[in-house]
Amino acid sequence: MIQNFLSSWGLFYQTYLAGWLIILLLSLIGVLVVGRDQIFIGAAISQASTLGVALAMGATALFPEDQFPWIHSTIFLSAMAVIFSVIAASITGQGGASGKESHEAITGWVFLISASLSILIVSHSPHGLEEIHRLLSSSIIGATAVDVWVFGILTIFTALLLTIFYRKILLFSLDTSMAVAIGMRIKTWNVITSAWLGLAVGLSIRASGMLYTFGCLVLPALVAKNLCREVRHMFLVAPVVGLLVGITGFVLANGYDYPPGQMTVTLFCLLLVLVWIFRRLGYKSGL
Amino acid sequence: MENKEFIFKMNGLSMAYGDRTILSNINLVVRPGEFWFLLGPNGVGKTTLLKALLGMHQPQQGHLQLHPKFAQGNFVGFVPQRCDLNPTLPTTVKEFVLLGLAGIRTSKGAELERLRWALEKMKLEEMIDKNYWSLSGGQRQRALVARALIRRPKLLIVDEPTKDLDLTAANALMESLTDLNRKENLTILFVTHDLTLAAHYATHIALFFDGHVEAGLCHTILNQENLERAYGVPVSIWQEPSGALNVRINGTGGLR
Repeated sequence: MIQNFLSSWGLFYQTYLAGWLIILLLSLIGVLVVGRDQIFIGAAISQASTLGVALAMGATALFPEDQFPWIHSTIFLSAMAVIFSVIAASITGQGGASGKESHEAITGWVFLISASLSILIVSHSPHGLEEIHRLLSSSIIGATAVDVWVFGILTIFTALLLTIFYRKILLFSLDTSMAVAIGMRIKTWNVITSAWLGLAVGLSIRASGMLYTFGCLVLPALVAKNLCREVRHMFLVAPVVGLLVGITGFVLANGYDYPPGQMTVTLFCLLLVLVWIFRRLGYKSGL
Repeated sequence: MENKEFIFKMNGLSMAYGDRTILSNINLVVRPGEFWFLLGPNGVGKTTLLKALLGMHQPQQGHLQLHPKFAQGNFVGFVPQRCDLNPTLPTTVKEFVLLGLAGIRTSKGAELERLRWALEKMKLEEMIDKNYWSLSGGQRQRALVARALIRRPKLLIVDEPTKDLDLTAANALMESLTDLNRKENLTILFVTHDLTLAAHYATHIALFFDGHVEAGLCHTILNQENLERAYGVPVSIWQEPSGALNVRINGTGGLR
C-alpha cells in the first residue's frame, strides 16, 4: 500500500502537500476555535465561504468573459471565498453581551443563510451547482503548486505569530475580560483574528471543500484537548496528530481508492472516539 | 505630616455614557499602601470608576492623574469577578497564572521567580501543577489574584471576589489580601457589597451614591448617616469589644 502511495507521488504530490499543509494551518488556528468553545463558528465560516464562491459563480453568468475577464478568474473565486469567510468571522464574533443576541444564534443565522443562498444562487447553473456540491462534499484532488506555496507561507506565518504573541493571543481568545484589563485593544485584535481565520478558512474551502476544512479546523484540536494537560501543549499536539492522521488517511485512500478528504476526516472522528474512551477509562482508574 | 506621594488622583472627574452622567465631580486621592473598599448600591458607578482606572472609559470632565513613578509599566493588576476561560479546556495553575504575563517581556528565570512569588503570596505553591478546574472555588479565586499579582502591579483592583465563596474561603482570601497590603505595601481597591468585610479590613472607604462619592478613612465614612443616605434603608453600626466595627442593614435579616 505504501509502495502504491509512493508511486502516486509524482502525479499527486501537490495535492498531498496542500492537504497536509491545510491540516497544519487549520489545526493551529483550530486550537483557538476549540478553546473558545465556538466549534460551530468553524462550520458557519466555511459555509459563508461557499456562499462567496457561489456569488462569484453567479456573477460569471451576469458578466460576459470578454468584458469582465477578472470575474471569470480563479483569483476572483478565491478572493470571494476569503472575503465572505472574513465577513462571517467578524459577524460571528459579535453578540453575547447582555441585551444582545447570543453567539450561537448569530452563528446559526450565518450558517443557514449561507447554506440556503449558496444553493439558490447557482441552482439554475448546472456548472455552478456542480461546483457547490464539490465544495460541500470536499475534493482536494487538483491542488496546484500555488496552493502548496500559499498554505506553506500561511502555516509558517501562523506558527510565527503564535510563537511571538502566544500569551496575548491566548488571553484575547480565552479570557477577554482580563485582556481588556491589561490594556489590549480588543477591537483591533478582533479584526486581526477574524481576518486571519477568514483567510485560512476561505482559502482552504477553495482548495479542499467544506467537509475537509471544517474537519481539519476542529478535529485535531479536539483530539489534542483530550490528550493535553495545558493549552500550550495543544498547539504542538494538534498539528502533529493532524499530520499523522493526514498521512495515514491519504495512504489508505490511495490504497483502497477512496476520496482522501473524507477518509482523513473519518479517521479523525474515529481517533476522537478512541481518545474519549481512553480519557473516560483514565478518569475511572483515577489517572 | 501628609504623605505627598500618591498612586492616582481624581480631580473633578465626571463619567458618562452618552447623555447619562454616572459620576460627577469626583475628587479622590489614593496613596501607596492603602486598602480601599468601594461600596454602594448597584448601578451607582463603581464599575465605571474602575473602567476609568483601567483606561477602558474616558472621563467626560476632570482629570485622572497617575503618579509618573507608578504610571510606568504595569501599573494596575485586575482581578475580575469571573473568569471567561472555557471550563473544558485543559490548563494547570502554572499556565493559568503565567497567562497574566501577557505583554510583559521577561527572561524564563524571571518568569519563574515571579510565578513562585505570586503563588506563594496566594498560598498556592503546592497547587502549581494541578489542573486549574480541579481547584475549589476559593483556590480558583486565589489563582485569579495570583494571575494579577504576577504582573507586579502597584495597584490591585479586586471586583467582588468573595461573592460566591463560603465563609472560610472568603476569610482565607481576605487574609492573603491583607498580608499583601501590609507586607508588600500593595495598594488595593476592593469592590464589594459586604459592609462587614469593609468594616473589618478597609483602611479607607469610597461610598458611592447618587453620582457622588464620599471618600476617606474607614471610621469617618462608615457611619449611620452616610450608609442610610447611600442605601436608603435604616442601618445599625456598633463597635465590638475587640474594637472592630460591625454593620447591619436593618430588615435584611442579617449582616451584609
